[in-house]
Amino acid sequence: MSAVIQTYTLTKKFKQDEVIKPLDFSVEKGEICALIGKNGAGKSTIFKMLSGQLTPTTGEIYLFGKSGKDMIQAKRRMGFMIETPVFFPDFTAIQNLEYFRIQRGVAEKKRINEVLEIVGLANQKKKKFGEYSMGMKQRLGIALSLLSSPDCLVLDEPINGLDAEGIMEIRRLLIQLNQEKQITILISSHILTELQLVATRFVFIKNGVIVEDVSKQLLDEKSRKQIHLKVDDTGKTAQLLERAYEDIQYKSLPDQIITIQNHIEKAGEINRLLIKNDVLVMEFRVEALNLEEYFLGLVEGAGEK
Amino acid sequence: MINYLKSENYRLLRKKSLYLTTAICFILITAAAFVLYYFNEADSHFPYGTSSFFYSNVLGMGVLIIIISFVYNATLTGKDISLTKQAVSFGISQSSIFWSKLMLTLCYFMFVCIAGILLMIGLGEILFAKEPETTGNFLIASFNMVPIVLSGFILIHTLKMLKISDIYNIIIIAFIYIFSGDLLYFVFRQMNGWNEFYLFAPSTQLNDNLMSFMHQSVQLDYHYWVTGIVISVIALFIGAATFTKQDIG
Repeated sequence: MSAVIQTYTLTKKFKQDEVIKPLDFSVEKGEICALIGKNGAGKSTIFKMLSGQLTPTTGEIYLFGKSGKDMIQAKRRMGFMIETPVFFPDFTAIQNLEYFRIQRGVAEKKRINEVLEIVGLANQKKKKFGEYSMGMKQRLGIALSLLSSPDCLVLDEPINGLDAEGIMEIRRLLIQLNQEKQITILISSHILTELQLVATRFVFIKNGVIVEDVSKQLLDEKSRKQIHLKVDDTGKTAQLLERAYEDIQYKSLPDQIITIQNHIEKAGEINRLLIKNDVLVMEFRVEALNLEEYFLGLVEGAGEK
Repeated sequence: MINYLKSENYRLLRKKSLYLTTAICFILITAAAFVLYYFNEADSHFPYGTSSFFYSNVLGMGVLIIIISFVYNATLTGKDISLTKQAVSFGISQSSIFWSKLMLTLCYFMFVCIAGILLMIGLGEILFAKEPETTGNFLIASFNMVPIVLSGFILIHTLKMLKISDIYNIIIIAFIYIFSGDLLYFVFRQMNGWNEFYLFAPSTQLNDNLMSFMHQSVQLDYHYWVTGIVISVIALFIGAATFTKQDIG
């Protein structure tokens, strides 16, 4: 595989605030890479640096192996949609896309109808952009990113404002573009369950630092299980667990619930330990984590050892 | 850059403000001519029914012309500037964006100015009594005004591209093109060698140009070009250098 996007010690400072700490990151050809982080983690800043909207403080960016001035040609193979798409409010979808078609040197006029068809805006040709709903604006943003038939899409919150049906359509579209046209996709979304259905790789970012970078397969393995306990005394349980397993990772939740993220294979032993020490175990089960819980486990420290 | 120019032209030609401003300017010029013509016909002692007075109205409104140029420049540098991030994402350089928007709006503005001058000369020749040399003097005075007005346009472009708010933009323009002469005179009046520096101020030059025209003594003068070029070069240097390095997102 070859890297479509590659960064070397990329940093971004706003005044004294280092928003992105030295970042070495790459997206390989054919991947659907999800960039996951809380608000302010630095996702949009990374996207904006990739697109050229922000200049990195230090470091280098390579797109399709090209850097510096050579990158201009490489950018033409990319489609960006960063934050809320901006268009001329007094133009219709066709006029807006025509403006960008001319700008991007797309020869075929019919490409406008094709992309409008793809994103489901073909029947809204005469409506002005200013009258669009949030979901329609997002769709037009995606249409624009597809206009020049890119080899790589960088999409920041592309399903923001879409209804359930719209989300499903975009999910299908992204998977189709990736599988049929081998388009590489770097995507972020706050709807993590959606990313779980689309992405093949997950990169977790916290305070401008990548805290975990896992493939879908590895994530499935890692997030597969946790022990869910409901006990009468969470303090005593925590004490017993810490004493018995030095590296134990657990969370103390409301309603006397404790979840244990490692030593899953020792579930029986843990159960015996608690009962032996007179802890009343009201619930004991091994359950799978979804991406949201895995993410919270990674980026939040509350109740965690 | 050519594709970017073409796309901006596509946008510009679909801007209502472009046509509206042009129409208003031409209507006002025509209305002014007909008002003078009407009073001249109604009152044989009316002193202002002459082509020279008609032309002097435009020569005396240099600052108004610069403010009108603001509207032309804003057709591509107003709210639409937020779309530049899409162009940058596609690999179009910020330098291309800066120069393309300037070239295109300047071309349309100059076209409208030339059409306006031709309209004035046409109306002046048809409606008012023939005055020897007036049209020639008007053309010379207009030519002297060109660098000052263009420097105003370029300065406005730079300030708009650097996202300086419109109110500050107008204050800066008003200061340079209305008050700069008086200020320079006041500051340098007692400094030997500098006490005539105010003659290079745009406001002084616009005023001198009008007076020369009114006294039928107007001549082509390089001083206007020196001032215009100095302001334009400084504005372009600061504008292009700063905008190119500016974060768009």
